[in-house]
Amino acid sequence: MSEKEQREILEEWLKLHKGLLFKVVRAYTMQDHDDLFQEIILQVWHSIPRFRGESAVTTWLYRIALNTAIRWVKKGKKFSTAESLDNVQHLLQENRIAVDERLTWLYAEIYKLDKIDRSVTLLLLEGFSYKEMSAMLGISESNVGVKINRIKKQLIAKSKNYDHGI
Amino acid sequence: MIMEFNELKEVWDAQDSKPLYQIDKNVLQVRIANKMDTLLHFTSISEWTLILINFITAIVMILLHPFRTGVNLFIYLEAVWMIGIVVYLVISCIQRIKASRRFDRSVAGDLDHTLFLARYQVRIAQIIRWNFLPMGVILILSGWEAGKLVSVSTVILLSFSLAFYVTTKGYQVNRKRVAELQALKEKLETEM
Repeated sequence: MSEKEQREILEEWLKLHKGLLFKVVRAYTMQDHDDLFQEIILQVWHSIPRFRGESAVTTWLYRIALNTAIRWVKKGKKFSTAESLDNVQHLLQENRIAVDERLTWLYAEIYKLDKIDRSVTLLLLEGFSYKEMSAMLGISESNVGVKINRIKKQLIAKSKNYDHGI
Repeated sequence: MIMEFNELKEVWDAQDSKPLYQIDKNVLQVRIANKMDTLLHFTSISEWTLILINFITAIVMILLHPFRTGVNLFIYLEAVWMIGIVVYLVISCIQRIKASRRFDRSVAGDLDHTLFLARYQVRIAQIIRWNFLPMGVILILSGWEAGKLVSVSTVILLSFSLAFYVTTKGYQVNRKRVAELQALKEKLETEM
């Protein structure tokens, strides 16, 4: 695959799915949005030659983004970003004006969960099946089920304490 | 108030209908300005380097006359050719500086200026690259006239091949830069 083709695919994916990447970034870091976003784009870029179309692009992107974000958190945000794609996508920032307060609360609650539970929650909210989640996260379907039940209960219980904007 | 999970899902899904991101204009401005300054600096240095190399080589050719076997017209022709390049580069440099004044210091102005400089670099690199061909032919002819065809041709072939390779690399880098800047410009025009 030529670099030009790779760049075109990246541009296309970002055009269609960058919102998905923002969701992962927001769930995994409260401050370093730009850094994690850049790191995810870099990993997505490197992953393009390996993409064989065996899964949906969104599934592939979620897998890359979640793995990158989990490693990012594990390594204490010390990834080297010396390599940089000179691209306008790096200049994108969260549109704070458009943010719903309930959504801000929801992201804050997701952020409080552990690394894997955050991934499960994101995938659950995005409507992925147990099977897909299991494949993406490398945990059994039954384990996914257990986690989902617990997370749902936890989020519903915590919503008791939330009384703004409803 | 308790939110059921389907309500949480509705809140989550609603974010897809709103623009989640916007371009950080401050970062963008700084980045483009840095890019432009770097390219401007590089352009000035490369212009002066090419002017000085061609000018000094032409003068040395005329004064030292490398083959010393009587009057070798091809050496003088080569020197005149190189002076011609110097004149061309000086005129191009003046035109570039004049043209640079039409760009304002806005994000769009800086981006257009950077794109202009990158295209200018591509044009100069292209001209200098193909310029090696007539220069090499003239020098080989001068070697032939001086009775040193093989040795001169070998030196010319090796040195000009190296110079051609280096300028081709520079040309490719600049072509890539133009394409990236053009893509950035198009993207900004659609996203901003």
